[in-house]
This record gives sequence, C-alpha cells and structure tokens, in this order.
Amino acid sequence: MSDPRDNVQQEFLAEAQELVEALSRDLLLLDEAHHRGERINPALINEIFRSVHTLKGIAGMFGYKHVGAVAHALEDLLDDLRLGRTPVAQQLLDVLFDSVERFQRLLGLEDPQSPEEGPAVQAYIAAIRSIGMMPSDEEGDLLERYALDPAVLSVLTEYEEHRLRACIREGLRLYRLRAAFDLTAIDDSIETLREVARDDAEIITYLPSMEGGNNETIELVVLLASRVPEQELKNHFEGRYGTIDAIPEQTHLPTLPPHLTSMPPSMATSIGPRQDEDASQASLRSVANSVRVDIRKLDHLMNVVGELALVRSAIGRVVDELKRESLDRQSAMSLDRIGRGFERQLAELRSGILDVRMVPLGQVFNKLARIVRQAAREQNKQVRLVVTGANTEVDKLIVEELTDPLMHLVRNAIDHGIESSEGRGRVSKRSEGTLALNAYHKGSNVVIEVEDDGNGMNPHKLRETAIARGLLSPDLGQELTRQDMLNLVFLPGLSTNSEVTDMSGRGVGMDVVKTNILRLGGMVSIASEQGIGTKITVTLPITLAIIRALIVTIASRTFALPITAVREAIPYVPKAVRTIQGREVITLRGETLAICDLSRLFGFRRSNEEQGRFIVVGSMGNRELGFVVDGLIGQEDVIIKSLGKSLASVRGFAGATDLGDQKVALVLDAPALFAEYFDGPEALRSLETRP
Amino acid sequence: MSSRAQKATLVPDPHSKGGAVAVLAVLAGDEAYGFPLSSVREILVPPPVAEVPRTAEHILGVISVRGQIITLIDLPKLLSLAVAERRSCGRVLLVDNGEELIGVAVDEVIQVYRMEPAQIEYASAMGAELSEYVIGIGRMSPSGPTENDDMLILIDPVSLLGG
Repeated sequence: MSDPRDNVQQEFLAEAQELVEALSRDLLLLDEAHHRGERINPALINEIFRSVHTLKGIAGMFGYKHVGAVAHALEDLLDDLRLGRTPVAQQLLDVLFDSVERFQRLLGLEDPQSPEEGPAVQAYIAAIRSIGMMPSDEEGDLLERYALDPAVLSVLTEYEEHRLRACIREGLRLYRLRAAFDLTAIDDSIETLREVARDDAEIITYLPSMEGGNNETIELVVLLASRVPEQELKNHFEGRYGTIDAIPEQTHLPTLPPHLTSMPPSMATSIGPRQDEDASQASLRSVANSVRVDIRKLDHLMNVVGELALVRSAIGRVVDELKRESLDRQSAMSLDRIGRGFERQLAELRSGILDVRMVPLGQVFNKLARIVRQAAREQNKQVRLVVTGANTEVDKLIVEELTDPLMHLVRNAIDHGIESSEGRGRVSKRSEGTLALNAYHKGSNVVIEVEDDGNGMNPHKLRETAIARGLLSPDLGQELTRQDMLNLVFLPGLSTNSEVTDMSGRGVGMDVVKTNILRLGGMVSIASEQGIGTKITVTLPITLAIIRALIVTIASRTFALPITAVREAIPYVPKAVRTIQGREVITLRGETLAICDLSRLFGFRRSNEEQGRFIVVGSMGNRELGFVVDGLIGQEDVIIKSLGKSLASVRGFAGATDLGDQKVALVLDAPALFAEYFDGPEALRSLETRP
Repeated sequence: MSSRAQKATLVPDPHSKGGAVAVLAVLAGDEAYGFPLSSVREILVPPPVAEVPRTAEHILGVISVRGQIITLIDLPKLLSLAVAERRSCGRVLLVDNGEELIGVAVDEVIQVYRMEPAQIEYASAMGAELSEYVIGIGRMSPSGPTENDDMLILIDPVSLLGG
C-alpha cells in the first residue's frame, strides 16, 4: 500500500504485539500455578523463554534497541529459571509482569531508540539482574539412584540434567521408550509425542539408537519421567509407539542397552534435533499457517462484496423485466438461475470475509486478567477471576474498541465493588472476592457480563449525589424508580470525582464507558444489590461491517433498522394507545410497552391517508421500546456506511446504506434512540417540563 | 477566515499567465455562483436523495455516489438567501472541501471562466456583510462594476460544512 518500509515496520509491530500477548498469557498461567502451589510445568517456562527470545531477535533486526536490551536481560533470568538456578518467587513474578507493560510502552515509542528511555530501561534491567541467582541444591547423588549410564549423563544438556534431577526429586519414576520414527517427518512426530506425553510424562531427552532403523526410519530411545503407574503408561504408549520399560533403581544391576553406553557423546549431541531447535521449528511452522491482514483490506473486500450485491440486484431487475415482457422466457429463466447461483456464492464469500474478521474475546480477557491481578495487588484485596466464554468470537474492530471500556469496568469492580478481606469477613463472605467475566452469543448479539460479589451500589446515595451535583432536580428525583436511580451512574459528571466515587461506590468514567459502548452500537445495563454485588451487562452486535436490517417506511421515506434490535413487529391500533406521564404506551401480552412515533420524533409531516401502521418492538439489554412506523418492506443485508463528517453530530442514525439503484436509506441507531428516549438528558428534561 | 480561504482555494491555473483562476459558474435560485474549478470533482445528474431528519435546513439529505455516502446541501439556503421560486435541482456538484466530498445541488451549470486577479473582489476588502462561505465577488468584465448578471458569488469550498 504505502511505503514498503512502513509495512515491514507494521509487520514487526504486529508480531511483537503477539509475542507480548503470548508472554502475558503464559505469565498469568505461571502466576496461577505458583499461587496454587502447583508443580510448575517446565513447558510453560520454555514457552515464556521462547517468546522473549524471539522478541529479542526481531527487536534487534528492527532497531528497537530498548526492547532488545530488556528482552536480553529477561532471557538470562528466564534461562536461570528454566535451569532451576532461580526459583519461582513473588518478586521474580512481579519483575516478569512488569516487562509486559514495559514492552508495550517501548513498542509504542515514536523513536524506538529514544535516548530519554535509556535511564528507565537501565534501571529495569538492573532490577532484573538483582533478582540474582539462587544456588541450586547440590544433589549429585540423586542421579545415582537410578541405573543411568554415565555415558548418557555426559550427553545431557544442562537443562536436561536439571529436569532429570527435578523429576527425581519430585519422586517421578524414570522410563525408557523405544520407538521408530519416520525420518522425513521426525520433527512432527516428536512434537506429536510431546503432545501425547504432556499429561502423563515429561520427556527428558531422546537419543537415536544404533539398531532397529533403516533408510526411512530411525529408532529413538526416549527418556521419560512420570508419576503414572507403569501399566497405565504401557497402555498409553505401547501400540502407538514402541516398548516402554521402567529404568530400575540402582539396587539392581544396570541394564542399559549396549548402544547407549557405546555411543560416542559427540554423536549423541549432533544427531537428532535438540529440544530448543525442535521447538523453534515447530513455532515457525505454525506462524506460516496464518497471515496477518490489515483490517482495512477486509473492509475494502467487504465493500466490493456490497457492490457485487448491488450488481446482483440489478440483474434481478432485468430478469423480472424479461419475464414480464416474455420476449424470451427460456433465456430469462436461465439468467434467473445463474443469478441465484451467483447470489449463493456471494453469500458464501461474504460470510467467509466476516469469519476472517472474527477473533475470540479471550484476547481482551487476557489483558483484563492482568488488570485484575494488578488492581488486586494495589488494593491489597484477594480477587479470584472466573472467565467463561473466552472463545466467543467478535469482530476484530469491536474487540479493539472494547478493551478500554471493559478495563474501566474491571477496575471499578475491584476498586469499589469488592471489599477488602477484613470487610468481607465482617459480613461473613469468603475472604476472596470473585470477579466473573462471562461472554456468550445471544441471537446476533454478543453479551459480555462483568460481575462482582462485592458490596453493590446504593441507589439512594446515587440519587442524592446526582441532586447534590445539580444533575437532577429534587422533584424529578422523587419520581425515579430503583432502576432509574442505578442508571444515574451513567450520567456524565456523576462519577468523575474521586470524592463522589467513594460515596457512589463506583469509579471513574461510567459515562465514558457507556458512550464508547453506544458508539459500537451496543448497550450497557446495570443490576446491583447492596451487599450482594453488581453486574454490568454489555450487549454488542457481533460485527459492524454488515448487518441484517428491517427496511421500514416512515412518512414515505425509507429507513433501515438493524434486526439485532428488533424483537417483533405488530400492527398499530390507535385505540389501544394510552398515555402514562406524558408518554404513549400500549399493553402487549400483559406488559406495558412504551412507544415512540418516529415520524413525530423526526418532524415528518404524514399524510393522514397512510393506513395500517406498525409498531416495531425493539429490544436492547433489558429494555423494550415500540417504534411506530408507517410500513414494513422486508429484510435485507446492508452495509452501513458512516455519514460524512458534516453530519457527525446528527443523533439517531448509525449511518446510511445503499439499497441498490442508488437509493439510499438511513440506518436507525437503535441504541442511540433508546438512550435518547429513556435516559438522555433530554428525556430527563422533558420529564421535568411535564405538569 | 477569508485570508485562509484565498490561500487554500484560489489556486491559479497553471496554464495561464498572470495568476488567472478557473471558476465553474452555476445557477442556483436567483443567483449565479462560482466554484474554484480545482475543488469540483464531478458534475452529476441528481441521484435519489434520502432526507436526514433533525438537521439544518440547508442540508437536503444524503446521496450515494458509487457506494460512498455524500451530504447534499442547498446553496441559497446555506447562504440564508430567500429564494422566490426554486426550480428543481438540475445538477449536483461534488465539491472537495479538503476533508470530504460535499454534494451541492444547483439548478444549472453555466460554464468555466478564467478570472484574472483584477476581476475578483475579495470579501475581506468589501466589509463584513458577506457570508463566511463566500470568498468574494467575481466580475465578468475586468473594467469595474457592471450589471448584476455578470457577477458571480465565489464560494469557498473549504468552509462548506467543514473547516
């Protein structure tokens, strides 16, 4: 597209970002295992080491000096960690977590060499170095417990020896697996073996045997450590691989096969991929399976698909014309068939492109998990994070925009929702607070819940604060329902002051959260019970690129209403309309439904002859509102295009869409209309002016 | 504002000597207007317009041009000129205001003029009575004031719904 150097730079940044995210994810796993006092999976530490190592490599290539320097220092520390020279400890974890933030900052620098960053980077590197080395216990005799040939021991790398000692210390039994592998696919096969073994056993090393191979296969002797009973291990591996035997402890006679004793060490180290090489090859392969794409390219493709859909509908019109005039019915029919085939493929193409844009919410949740950890430590609170639905997929653009609002919500829940351990103790709650992040699909929406079991919000205090700050008149305040009072938290100016924050029980910028979510075409709702907890529910469309819309007419003008917001459409019966507090409502299946006449809202003059109007029942979060329209045309997939900058301030429309034949329809912005009707400042003010 | 506009929009035609400017003259309502030709991207037969509620009166709505949504404005209304009788919109100019394309509904496109600097009377030199959207007045005859018909209201495209 632009400067190729820029592209390369972008590529680097994208890859570096991925590595840092992977690092962050793995650190969280490490942290969790450490806190639970579980055995630390050495594969995890290797994974972390590898991310940092790769980052160091690419940072060097692209002149990110500081990133490279930090990665280098970390690499040394991680090397000590994986060789068991340094134990996993809180202080070490803190330094490692710090690196994620630091890398992100350094990657965001305009000038990657910026000398201003030098001192901070040096200080951090010093902190890494100061973690220092803890001498590992001298337990040379451990290895003597087993009948391992010194020749084998002499070819073990330092890492392998460390793992071997660690496994023996943990009381794992050692086994020897002999298996034949296809020479051409040996890397894959060993990777598979690693996968298979992961849960039951750890692979210490593997050495080629001198026998049992031919031109196509090679026989390896794999040294395994496991706590699974021998028979189970046999069931698991034998049949799939070769034979497996326990390595006897030293009281027995050494029974090492002669080939292991006779193999020259130099050969052992040169044949067969070493652990690290093998792993880096595996990771290269997986990278090659995916491509990174600029989201704008996908937008462009989506536009092309949209244009094709317009071409398709033009063909449809020609077909109709041909059929009507029946000049050549035969040709018209076959053209019709071709057109339908085209349409099917087009739908396929469109869903394919949409699919590419989808990413799992887990990406955001991982970032949030870091925030949770950090906030909990700052506040000295115990917080357990429970995540469900991390695989729920959402449009990449939405995910990007979602991070900040969700971060606010999570911080608020920990800062103001969840109580300190002592506080929780006083009301006999578990000392550890729970923060739940739940994501799931609901129709064509995705729902994300941030739920805490903290002290909840006091609706009356919210009202008092709003009145005290002049955001609400005392008279109007009396009319508010409990839910109305809770919704006050979204008013700008209510929760931006820390002093008020303590009073309201919620933190900074709930209005900002709401604005951001609304901009994505979503909704935020709140439920809170004092003493029990607070649940914030964010409802979002799955994609912004293309939506299914209900096409309606309002005073003879055509509009599109996103179907995600529509529950049903019912005939409008003027006689059934009642007025409550100046608002029009109807009764639908025993429930009161507020209705909003869009032609009146938009100031259109309707000709009275227009009969048979409809109420389109919209639903957003836990609210419903009936939009009165004049006609229903049908459903269509539309691509929303933004209104130009000159119309950016117009409320109530998400954009416009081309319906074909150059006909344009405005797309109604259901969340904005809901907000305007229910809780916009206008709504409050209009309430106030009523008698 | 007008000094910026002069810089931004009255680009002398490179093919002419002495800093002449190419101006597209159009009719809208009762007046003749001139747009710097360099800012006019396209002249269209009016496509269907979708009205946008709750906007200022001079915004006629939006149109779609090859998939792009463009705001359409009415020139006399933008300039707050009372128009006795408006003929139907005959053409749409796509004008680049530096940030986006704006559709300007006009009755008729007249022709392109080359105006010498002497033919242009800048708003800044005429007092504050003219709208902010107007760069100045262009006179067809280089020799001072003549009849109204020979006068073009020169529009500053940069100020159209932007800048």
